[in-house]
Amino acid sequence: MAVFKKILIANRGEIAIRITRACREMGIGSVAVFSDADRDSLHVFLADEAYHIGPSPSKESYLNYQKIIEVAKKAGADAIHPGYGFLSENTNFAKACDEAGITFIGPTVANIEAMGDKISAKTLMKKSGVPTVPGSDGGVDSVEEAIKIAEKIGLPVIIKASAGGGGKGMRVVRKMDEIESAFRACRSEGQNYFADPTVYIEKFINDPKHIEIQVFGDKHNNHVHLFERECSVQRRNQKIIEESPSPSVPQEVRLRMGEASVRAAKQINYVGAGTIEYIFDNTTKEFFFMEMNTRLQVEHPITEIVTGVDLVREQINVAAGKPLSFKQEDIKQKGHAIEARICAEDPVTYKPSPGVIRACRHPQGPFMRVDSYAYPGYNVPIFYDPMISKLITWGDTREEAINRMQRALSEFVLTGIKTNIVLHRTILDHPTFRDGTYTTQFIEKNFEVIEPEMFKQVEDPVFLIAAAIEAYNDRKSKDIRQLNVSSTWRRLGRKMQLRT
Amino acid sequence: MYFEAELRGKKYKVDVTEGRHSWKISLQQEGKEWVHHDVSKNDYKRAEEYISFLFQGKSYLVDVVGSDTEYTVFTRNSFRSIKIFNDEMLLHESLKKGGGFGGDLELKSGMPGKIIEIFAKEGEIVKANKPLLIMEAMKMENEMRATRDVKIKEIKVKQGDSVESGAVLIKFEEPS
Repeated sequence: MAVFKKILIANRGEIAIRITRACREMGIGSVAVFSDADRDSLHVFLADEAYHIGPSPSKESYLNYQKIIEVAKKAGADAIHPGYGFLSENTNFAKACDEAGITFIGPTVANIEAMGDKISAKTLMKKSGVPTVPGSDGGVDSVEEAIKIAEKIGLPVIIKASAGGGGKGMRVVRKMDEIESAFRACRSEGQNYFADPTVYIEKFINDPKHIEIQVFGDKHNNHVHLFERECSVQRRNQKIIEESPSPSVPQEVRLRMGEASVRAAKQINYVGAGTIEYIFDNTTKEFFFMEMNTRLQVEHPITEIVTGVDLVREQINVAAGKPLSFKQEDIKQKGHAIEARICAEDPVTYKPSPGVIRACRHPQGPFMRVDSYAYPGYNVPIFYDPMISKLITWGDTREEAINRMQRALSEFVLTGIKTNIVLHRTILDHPTFRDGTYTTQFIEKNFEVIEPEMFKQVEDPVFLIAAAIEAYNDRKSKDIRQLNVSSTWRRLGRKMQLRT
Repeated sequence: MYFEAELRGKKYKVDVTEGRHSWKISLQQEGKEWVHHDVSKNDYKRAEEYISFLFQGKSYLVDVVGSDTEYTVFTRNSFRSIKIFNDEMLLHESLKKGGGFGGDLELKSGMPGKIIEIFAKEGEIVKANKPLLIMEAMKMENEMRATRDVKIKEIKVKQGDSVESGAVLIKFEEPS
């Protein structure tokens, strides 16, 4: 018998489809919800049931949790899967599910709360022996104290306003005599922008990598990790290519990272799928805790591919109280997987490109997977994230996975809107990506001027000839239309002639 | 049929002749010689939503989106926006601006969104590639920059405004 009768999926797009697929394979009914803008979205077509939840802005639909719970009750759903983003880490929503007697497929409210606050999360990690970035314990009150800490942890350091964000209230200090001015600047920015002058100091990792570990826990105190993913290819701090395993993590460090992550998960009695993110220093091979995401992530398929574990199925089973279906020793990394996030955006300016998809043909072939909600005629709405598809390829070796990804991208047809497929193709051929030494600064350093590379692929006459033929056809059909419509003056003239 | 086209800042004269079995397309980039291409209709075939185009031994799957003067051509996951003016439009343009196609005198919103910040001030001269404003759409902040040197005539929006696709955000005039 299925663990749940019916699951409501409080999300949209590819992740809603991914969860619907797991439900169907497990014999569980699926309930989609949709906003005004998403009536024609593929997740609505694929689910067993679908309910309208409000206007297009997510605040009034996908984030309106009272409405979602109301729909779940009406549909008779006994569980809700939040996917990623939207309500996935919202404690009020998780609590409201509990109160309504509906199972929230995700971690406990206490888990989300413990990891939601960065300072308390860091303290918890330290307690469980997970390496954290060396620095001050909480706020620093004076320049003298700041200098003392910097001398202890070594330069460069970063001074950050506690309440800061978006690059404000942040200074990297590379020389001791710069500390005083940076300290004062951060305090005053903290006060001016966030009404809080508290600052703290951390060791600054030059050119780091972003490595994360997938963890899983059940309600029977079993905790495991499913190895790492490297997500250093980012633009505007958002990931676009992920791979597993990371080409930079030595086996011994990999095991240590995994063990540390399991310790962290145990420390908080973590339940369900979670990810512990680390800053990784590629020179020293040291890793430091950054934050924990208490949800399923966009890049979960690469872990599924290399470990053979269906993470969504596992989430559903664990939420229903079943023990994990595997033990740590059962989990092996087999081969290499890469994921490319296909976004509706201009690959040169990174500006979103919503609109109607005209042609859409997904690549096919061995050892690959496409998680997508794109189809011909679909109007990509402006209200949500620009990611429309995820392409995942697998290879016995990293090189094979990359080559397969290149092949699959070359087959991918998406027209009518601009996409970043060509950016992916350029990245995959870049020597720094190929040799695996790329860091989070990779895009910034190498793709400020992506344009020439991108334009080399097809010669201008191909575009000009096609545009000229179509412009010619448009003009010709307009002429024909004009010939067929007799003018009012002509008709009037004819009438006058008939009268005389 | 005669056209003028602009692709990535380069101007072209284009001549298209349709035969029974082929297209004759002649292209002349400004300052260069005419180049003639004979394209068999068998090599430029419509297949469902797109066109299969065999050109100089290479196979392209092409889609052309647009009408009037603005066309976007997609192929091999690459795309180009092409401005193309036919004889009729060239005549209109020449009546309007005294010949050729000049820059736009308005900054329009390409999609619905929210104005986050405005950098430009009325009466100010903004140099090419300098930011004019930031608009939020699809959860991303998009900086809109001046495509050429312009003088700000009128700012039609204010911070926090929600705008529809095609809305005029800023009106320009030629800097004196």
